[in-house]
Amino acid sequence: MAREKIYLEEVFPSPFMQHWLIFRKTPVAMIGFACFIFLTILAVFTPVLAPYSPIDGNINMLLLPPAWHDDGNVSFLLGTDELGRDMLSRLMYGSSLTFGLSFVIVIVSLVIGVVIGSLSALTTGIKSSFLNHFLDVILSIPSLLLAIIIVAIIGPSVSNTVGAIILVLIPQFVHVTRYAVKEEFRKDYVLASKLDGASSFRILYYSIFPNIVDRIMSQATLAQSAAILDIATLGFLGLGAQIPLPEWGAILANGLDLFYIAPWTVYLPGLSILFAVVSTNLVGEGIRHALKLRKES
Amino acid sequence: MLIFTLRRLSLFTFTMLLLTILSFSLSFLFPGDSVINLSGEVNATAAQLVELNLEYKTDQNIVIQYFSYLSHVLTGDLGLSMASQSLITHEIAILLPATVELSLVALLIAMFFGIPLGFFAAIRHNKRSDNIILSVAMIGYSIPVFWLGLLAILLFSINLGWLPSAGKISLLFEIESITGIQFFDILLSDSPYKWQAFRDASAHILLPACVVAIAPATIFIRLSRTSMIEVLQTNYIKAAKAKGLSFKQIIIRHAIRNSLIKIIRHVGLQFANLVTIAMVTEVIFSWPGIGRWLIESISQRDYTAIQNGLLLLSCFIFIVHILIDFIYAALNPLARDN
Repeated sequence: MAREKIYLEEVFPSPFMQHWLIFRKTPVAMIGFACFIFLTILAVFTPVLAPYSPIDGNINMLLLPPAWHDDGNVSFLLGTDELGRDMLSRLMYGSSLTFGLSFVIVIVSLVIGVVIGSLSALTTGIKSSFLNHFLDVILSIPSLLLAIIIVAIIGPSVSNTVGAIILVLIPQFVHVTRYAVKEEFRKDYVLASKLDGASSFRILYYSIFPNIVDRIMSQATLAQSAAILDIATLGFLGLGAQIPLPEWGAILANGLDLFYIAPWTVYLPGLSILFAVVSTNLVGEGIRHALKLRKES
Repeated sequence: MLIFTLRRLSLFTFTMLLLTILSFSLSFLFPGDSVINLSGEVNATAAQLVELNLEYKTDQNIVIQYFSYLSHVLTGDLGLSMASQSLITHEIAILLPATVELSLVALLIAMFFGIPLGFFAAIRHNKRSDNIILSVAMIGYSIPVFWLGLLAILLFSINLGWLPSAGKISLLFEIESITGIQFFDILLSDSPYKWQAFRDASAHILLPACVVAIAPATIFIRLSRTSMIEVLQTNYIKAAKAKGLSFKQIIIRHAIRNSLIKIIRHVGLQFANLVTIAMVTEVIFSWPGIGRWLIESISQRDYTAIQNGLLLLSCFIFIVHILIDFIYAALNPLARDN
């Protein structure tokens, strides 16, 4: 019999891997994660996968109910809206607008927020106190209200919505990163590498970031669920995606007039938003649960 | 306590300064003449324009312009709404109480259901009822509020016909506006149909308030659950147990009081959140509040209304925030030091 391990070697997985190993053991979190991956794939490959165009209508197929209904048509699986546009295709394209854009928003604001946050954690004195107060003020205003304010200033459109939500989410990342970096800086292993002569940036990059990555990820899932809801709400209020873009909130607002005749035009986009937010939140809960378990062990 | 008050006051002035500067700079960022944006006088004649320019000191440098704007704001002159040409302070004085009323009722509903449920979940920590409450809470804060509002209208107003779906009160009742908060107005009025009006107003507010309350209620569930779990693990609870107090006594006398204090702190943060949710809900339920007005102003490009409406709304939210900080500090001596 071949011996695979000659030496008894202890393996220390990186903090991120440790986290993943715990995360993997929670089935609910893994279901959420699978849904999350599914939505991401959908958001990227929709132009290849979608059966119809999200904008061109089919004049012979107005207000067709979903296929399981008696009057439904199998080739329009989820029915059509008042202009004969296929609901399934619109919802699929909507995933790249609502979900995909929220993903982009979170990545951008995460990068900016983490950079500002870790730099500000290194500063002390009046600059840091000013930043603290400023963050307190900004954080006390809810993200949706702030996004509405910014959109009110720069005018309604998708790109402005994205910009507004990025701006709104940055302070949260700054706050979380700043707090986490400051906490790590007090620990002994950082002191050890400081005594070795490492510069602050080296400590940040090699010692601290691997250890706070999970906390930032947990904040990222919170931010993403807020971003999805904000994009959809702004779309619903007519301040975000404009007609004819198939953004989920905008589709819902569009179906509002026909709510009683064609309820599926309101049910389905709402369900999609709920699905996206729940799967994001499940991933977030899984990450936080794993964080808690790791702290206890 | 004095230092605490001074700190809050300095934070308050700092924030107000930031907000007025932001609001002032908006008049330059919006398209059109800054004086017209500030005053809302769209139809002003040339002579009036000259007068306005003098009033807002546009010929002098930007700092003096800002201070003349500040003095306008402080004397309560926020200009005219571009769309309706009526005084903005007057419009907001009617609309803001309606939003506050809706938010307060929603806050009460959220606290009434959320906090006990959270305590219950904490007491049954890691058991099935805890998990069920947590999962329901998670779905609750994932639901988009506008969708929930529509579903509620469809179910309760149209299919079941139990509750009205739009407005604040039936048009049959004529209630004079004294305080702006409708329930008080009804009680103060001397109409013979006072109680019918009261019932009608309650029926109108129930559905939107419940819709607004769902998301904060789930947050209260989570907050009260975590704070109760924390309190139950402390040493004084163990000491109380060792003394031989019954479980009921421990919960009612010690645990609930100590965990409530932690929750009160978050009520302030939740209030801002609640007002935002209320703004969206107002659009769906045609509630005559500031949220609907603001969103309409945005789509009508009514810059004066946007600018000053935002200023007043954020002032209001911030004042509530600070008030709750004070209540918290008064209740919890530990918080006064930092």
